[in-house]
Amino acid sequence: MDPAHPEHIFFSPARIRAIAGNTLLELVRLKVFYFLLIFGFLLIGLGAVTPEFNFQEQFQLLKDVSLGAMSIFTWLLAVLATAMLLPKDIEDRTLYTILAKPIPRFEYLLGKLLGVLLLILISTLVMSAVFAIALYGRQQLAISETIRTSAGASADQIQDAIRDIRASTFTYSLIAAVVIIYVKAALFAALTLFISTFASSWIFTIIVTFACYFIGSLQGIAREVWLGSVSTGPLPRIFLAIIALIFPDLQLFNLVDDIVAGNSISMLLFGKTVALGGLYTCIYFLVAYFVFTGKEL
Amino acid sequence: MTAISIQNLTKVYPIPFRRERIIAVRNLSLDVEPGQVYGLLGPNGSGKSTTMKIVLGLVSPSAGTTRIFGRDSHEVESREEVGFLPENPYFYKFLTGQETLDFYGKICGIRGAKLRERTAELLALVGLEQARDRRLAGYSKGMLQRIGLAQALIQQPRLLVLDEPTAGVDPAGSREIRDLILDFKKRGITVLLCSHLLSQVQEICDRIGILHKGVLVREGRLEDLISIENQTEIILENATPELLAQVNALLTNSGARILAERKPQTTLEDFFLEVTSSKN
Repeated sequence: MDPAHPEHIFFSPARIRAIAGNTLLELVRLKVFYFLLIFGFLLIGLGAVTPEFNFQEQFQLLKDVSLGAMSIFTWLLAVLATAMLLPKDIEDRTLYTILAKPIPRFEYLLGKLLGVLLLILISTLVMSAVFAIALYGRQQLAISETIRTSAGASADQIQDAIRDIRASTFTYSLIAAVVIIYVKAALFAALTLFISTFASSWIFTIIVTFACYFIGSLQGIAREVWLGSVSTGPLPRIFLAIIALIFPDLQLFNLVDDIVAGNSISMLLFGKTVALGGLYTCIYFLVAYFVFTGKEL
Repeated sequence: MTAISIQNLTKVYPIPFRRERIIAVRNLSLDVEPGQVYGLLGPNGSGKSTTMKIVLGLVSPSAGTTRIFGRDSHEVESREEVGFLPENPYFYKFLTGQETLDFYGKICGIRGAKLRERTAELLALVGLEQARDRRLAGYSKGMLQRIGLAQALIQQPRLLVLDEPTAGVDPAGSREIRDLILDFKKRGITVLLCSHLLSQVQEICDRIGILHKGVLVREGRLEDLISIENQTEIILENATPELLAQVNALLTNSGARILAERKPQTTLEDFFLEVTSSKN
């Protein structure tokens, strides 16, 4: 090796880790975790307004509100946190000082995305823990209430009642729901990153991402309506095919609603949904990289 | 091997939705030798920043090549040898001085004890040891420039690219940065400097190039470019009025013409620093 030219590593996980760690630190010091307090207050407030419901209804409501709030919060966090990352670095010229170092643009962009994904993961885990504690508390209350009101019932009957309570609180499907919520947020983080590589401002990025959300949510319905009609010509079909290719069908992520409703979902369907989310996340990231590589700073 | 080699460089920016285009740099060729302090001068919009960005690989040239110590500057590896301080840099304000250097060190592949040693050494060099644990949001303009210089030096580059390093800095801070650049020169580090402070450029640069509308209009050793060939400056100390009268008579008889006769002056910067430092 020429001593004048230090050895350069073409792909360095350590460099990516440095960017990801710094991105996470930036978001943490921006106090984005404050929204977790809102989530906590929401669950505490829920306990105050539902004492007249039976325990089954309470569990249902708690799952419905908690998973719905987790879905919204992680999605918002993914979009809002990612939208400002690139424009802020460009505007503050911090990007110049970073890319003037021996770090490829691929690693910089991947580090940024991983930092956001890490933030979403921590938030999802914290919210899941809060949710699990709240659910466990309700379960214990329901069990003690059952024991108290079952005077005269046989031990087997009480055990059956307790088993019923336990079966209707924690299920494996809840874990699947949390994973799907995370995957959807990750997909939107990658999409937002892609849009921010060519957007002129972070507001524009957020508006376009919201538009993508609506397109992704409505495309399933549009497909059913248009393709269900015999008279639909080839042009709308091609248009729908392009839309379906560019935007993921977000209705697929509505599996969470089925889980909350108590329906069991197959492992295959769960696996397909996660794989689709992962695939779109990778595709959006790669397209973002190609746009960012050609970007003149 | 030259530190920077720019050959027939042209950069054209198309204007979106119009058929017009802007030629930011036109057929530029220049070399910067190792150990030199090279001043790239020019009015706003003359192509200085574009040239710097191309040298750093942040922008692609439309034609021509730029090389850093023999490596095409478009290759990421070439940046192993370069440190860059942009004009008015805003580093991550949420980081402390120490964390800033740690971050830049890590993306250059330095870690562990070596990184700790290097950051301590650089914080001492730029005089920010006391402010190492303070967040950059609380740094003054001069301190930000100095931490910027420290991050530029983190991987011990052989070339420093500095864009207006003293912009917005008070005279004392400006002098400190100038002294640091002179120190880099002593250590054999090549410096490419863009500045509007011509007096400072004159003090520290070995060679300059002047860009105007993307074209290199003058280039060469500073002394050669600014000396007036047919004039000679003599500065006398303790000269009596009689001696001056004799010198004047001699000069008049020889056919030479006295263009000006005045007391030598200190610079305003030196005067300012003398006054303010004595107050402290």
